[in-house]
This record gives sequence, C-alpha cells and structure tokens, in this order.
Amino acid sequence: MDIQIKNLKKYYGENQVLDIESLAIKKQRITGIIGPNGCGKTTLLNIIAGLDKEYLGNINYNNKKINKEIVSNMTIVFQKPYLFRRSVYDNIEYPLKIRGIDRQKSKPLVEDIMKRLEIEDLRDKKAHRLSGGESQKVALGRALVFNPKLLLLDEPTSNIDPEYIVTMESEIKKFNRENKGTVIIVTHNIEQSKRLCDNIIGMENGRVVY
Amino acid sequence: MSYITEGFKEAVKLLITWDGEVFQIVSLSILVSTSATLFASIISVPLGTYFAIKKFKGKNLFSRLTYTMMSIPSVVIGLLVAIGLSRKGPLGHLDLLYTKEAMIIAQGLLVTPLIFGLTYGLVKSRGNTIEKVAFTLGCNRLDTIILIIRELRVDILINIATAFSRAISEVGAVMIVGGNIKNYTRVMTTTISMMNSMGDYPMAIALGIVLLLISFIIHSIIYSYSREE
Repeated sequence: MDIQIKNLKKYYGENQVLDIESLAIKKQRITGIIGPNGCGKTTLLNIIAGLDKEYLGNINYNNKKINKEIVSNMTIVFQKPYLFRRSVYDNIEYPLKIRGIDRQKSKPLVEDIMKRLEIEDLRDKKAHRLSGGESQKVALGRALVFNPKLLLLDEPTSNIDPEYIVTMESEIKKFNRENKGTVIIVTHNIEQSKRLCDNIIGMENGRVVY
Repeated sequence: MSYITEGFKEAVKLLITWDGEVFQIVSLSILVSTSATLFASIISVPLGTYFAIKKFKGKNLFSRLTYTMMSIPSVVIGLLVAIGLSRKGPLGHLDLLYTKEAMIIAQGLLVTPLIFGLTYGLVKSRGNTIEKVAFTLGCNRLDTIILIIRELRVDILINIATAFSRAISEVGAVMIVGGNIKNYTRVMTTTISMMNSMGDYPMAIALGIVLLLISFIIHSIIYSYSREE
C-alpha cells in the first residue's frame, strides 16, 4: 500500500507537534521512522493508522482517502499491546473470526503463525497474564494472521529480550517478502532500523529531516 | 430488649422450618428483581457501551443527564408506572396494575438507568484502549461493542449485581404498583415495612436476614469469578 502525505499538521492546543510538507511511503517496503523521544513518530503512526483524525492536511492510501476497506487491510502493533482476556490461540484467531473465517479454515493459519513465532507452548495460556516479550509476540501474531496490506509497528521490540527480537524481526521480514506487505516501523533503535528497513525516515521536532 | 432477642429467635425458627409464607415472599422477590435486572441489563449494557464509545455533540450534557437518572427515586418510578397502568392511564387496558408484571416493569425502569449509567461510565473510562485495538483489527461497530462487553465482563457483572441489590432492596415502587397483596404481590421489602408498622418483628427480621444473605451470596459468587479471571 502506497502512502502519500501532504501538508500534514497536528496541534495539541497551540503546540504544533507535526509539520510534514510531503512524505511518500512506498508499498511492499519496510520503512523505518526514527528520531528522539517526543519528535512525533508515534503521533504520525497513529494518524496513518486512522486512530487520530484531528489533523490538518492530506493522507492518501493508494491514491484514496481512508475508508472501511483500507482500515480492514491495515493494523498496528503498539509498544504496550493490549491482549484480550482469553487464550493466546483465541487472541490470534480473533481477526479471522470477525472476518467471517470459520474455525476449520482459521486453525491452520493460527497454528502456523504460532509455530513461526515460537509461541505454541503458550496456546492455552491467558494472554493478559503473559510477560512483555511474550505479549509482543502474540500481538504480532494477531496482526500478521490476516495478512494485512499495511503493518504499522510502534517500537515493537523495546524492553524485550534479544532472543525474542531475533524471532520477531525475522517474521516481520518474512511477512514483507512473502506477502508483499508494506511495513512502517517506529523505532529509536538505529541498529534495528538498519537491520530491518529498506528506507529510513528521520524525524526531529515534528518534521522530517531526512 | 427482650422483644428484639425474641424476634431474632423467632426469625431463625421461621427460616429453619422454611415457613411457607416466607418461602413464597422470598421466591416472588427473587423472581421480580431477577427478571427486572435481566431485562434492564439486556437493554442497558449494549446501549451504555454504544453511547460511551460514540462521539456526538452534547455528550457532556448527556453524561450529566445519565448520571442524574441513576439516582431517580423509586417512588417516582412507582408513581409513573402506576399512572401509566391505572385504569384511566395510557396502558390501563393491559390490566397490569397490582400484578407481579407491574412490579417487574417498575423495578426494570428503576435499574435501567442505573445499569446504563454504570456501563456508560465504565466503558468511557476503560473502554478506550479496547476500542482502539478493535479498530486496528478491523472490527465494525457491533464487533467493537461485543468485544468491549466481553473484555469488561467482570466489572459489568459487578454493576449488574449492584443494580440487582438496588432492585431487591427497594420498597417504594413495588409498594405502589404491587399493592403488597398477600400471596400475590407481597415481596420482602413491602413485608418488612408492613410487619414493622404492625410491630410483628420475627417475620421482618427473618426477611431482613434473607435479604442480606442473598446479597452476600451474589457478591461472593462475583468476587470468586473476578478472582478467577
């Protein structure tokens, strides 16, 4: 999914937090947004995800304004993911269930994701009781299971063990390569952006600086 | 003092022997309050959730009105229902006044704004994150409401139990629309009130104990469930 941003401005009261004249994010690529804390990375991601609608300017997705179809084809994994008060399996299956995919068809998809993310042993555990790293993996699994065209990741590997980071990065790359999915990842880890990303956008004080 | 201890002794005796009249009164109370709370919950929980997540003009005023309606006096509800169901009233042809159905309607109307308001407040304060996740996973409005209710089920159950306690312990509405008719519309609270005015304490104390026991059992079940969750 191509994303074109024009004259994007965002204010909190009188304080301007985003001022982006023009930005293009190419489809089927992994784009990293990096910058110091408070530079507007997460705000930009929330606007792209359609969660924040109070802004000035234009955002187009494949030359179209945001609509139901676009929303149902993108998802976001938050820095601190919220997992439902049900099993890990049910959490990952949820996006398929609301898309009307029956249990028989969804089972192999869910099991495949769990295998790839090495969380098969967590299958029946209550998701809201998992550790930070395990929660991130489950949240990523829940996001990947329905093959979104646009995957937005907000610091998905911050505060988690290196062993988890390796698995998650490998799955993000695989998703991009095999499913031709567009990925936007917000991170303050420059090394991670070099490892993962095809393009890097640098932000400072709400502006794109490179 | 002796009449109080005697009252307690007699009350315990009534409960142990499971007196027929006590049984009937307790059963009717439970039936009326459970039905009223159930009907009110079916309407109020989804609606409270819907209005909590919906953004609309005048939401602040709506919130204030909602919270005001939560504390509507039971006698006012009783009076309104009685007027509506009286022979000359708009629903007089249904011939429901002084029946248990009228009591269910009155208690239902009493707890509907309470469950609505409690759900509305709960979802407004804690539903935001769930709504956000639902949106990012592609949920429509109905999926989102169902998801929020499922996620907040323990708190919603506690709210429903609170509403049930309000229903079973109110006296004004059921007295007005039920009439406290022996073997027909007499419930625990109207009996306690009547027995107290007659100076017949054993029955009043016995029913008071049952009321407390019901409340204790319901809240114990919910407490255990919430701990398990």
